[in-house]
Amino acid sequence: MGSALEAFAYWLRETQISQAIRVLPWLWPVCEILHFFGLSLLVGVAGFFDLRLLGFMPGVRLSAAWSLMPWAKVGFGLAAITGLTFFVGAPDQYVNNLAFLFKVIFLLVAGANALYFEVAYGKRVAEGAADDRSPGAFKAIAAVSLASWLLVVYWGRMLPFIGNAF
Amino acid sequence: MMELLVSLENSGFGVWLRESPSIWAYPAILTLHTLGLAVLVGGNAVVDLRLLGYGRGIALSSLDTLFPVMWAGFWVNAISGVALFVGDATTKGTTQVFVWKLVIIAAGVLVLVAIRRTVYGRGVDAPVESPISRVLAATSLALWFLAIVTGRYMAYV
Repeated sequence: MGSALEAFAYWLRETQISQAIRVLPWLWPVCEILHFFGLSLLVGVAGFFDLRLLGFMPGVRLSAAWSLMPWAKVGFGLAAITGLTFFVGAPDQYVNNLAFLFKVIFLLVAGANALYFEVAYGKRVAEGAADDRSPGAFKAIAAVSLASWLLVVYWGRMLPFIGNAF
Repeated sequence: MMELLVSLENSGFGVWLRESPSIWAYPAILTLHTLGLAVLVGGNAVVDLRLLGYGRGIALSSLDTLFPVMWAGFWVNAISGVALFVGDATTKGTTQVFVWKLVIIAAGVLVLVAIRRTVYGRGVDAPVESPISRVLAATSLALWFLAIVTGRYMAYV
């Protein structure tokens, strides 16, 4: 990647907060634990909602499935905060890392997709207006969501192998 | 015991898993282990949260569908876990935390079975919620979190 990004990584690595993250030996493993728990919560709850959008579990009202989605956001928040901690603590591991680039791309896809659903349909879904039918657009959004979150996990797992992070 | 661990680790499969530069060896198996974890723990989280009172409008009779999904995640991880163990048998087989991990997962699976029996004992269409199902749900969440704690710990031994 560009040298401007490398310069940023070099600067970030020298900041006090970056050094503090590296100095505390327990912080990285604890963040890994929360990162994995967060990703499980996100994939579980969002995946459940996606399966319902795709037509599985028709007995579950869509508004009811939607009411669990704040927990997917809790999972995302856990993974995002701990992920940011990794990046700040060791930015040099990520800026020249092909797997990280793909991970960020699919994070943006998954995030934009989820945001679009919430903005365009969230209110109506919460009010129960979509309980009885699942339009084609919902199925497409669900498929993009499932595929992109699983690819985020895949590229995250590839960080040490295709890329150079640990 | 140690001889068995050494022979596992030095088996053709163990050597391949550990030393092959192929992306289809260790990285692929570890990816399966992560995806299986997300499906198993994530599915449990949905059922546990519902039993603890979140998303109360979700019809419990329909959540029965998630159980085969969770079992699929479990078996993906059981099989990929055996493969990862073979590749690193002398370390994993002699680390006490690894034994704890297995005990915690066994307890998590027993609780999952108990949840299914408690909630759907009178049939899938007549699910029963009770103080027992709430205690089981809280125990389940705690156990799967501890499974991740001990699993992540194994990355540092």
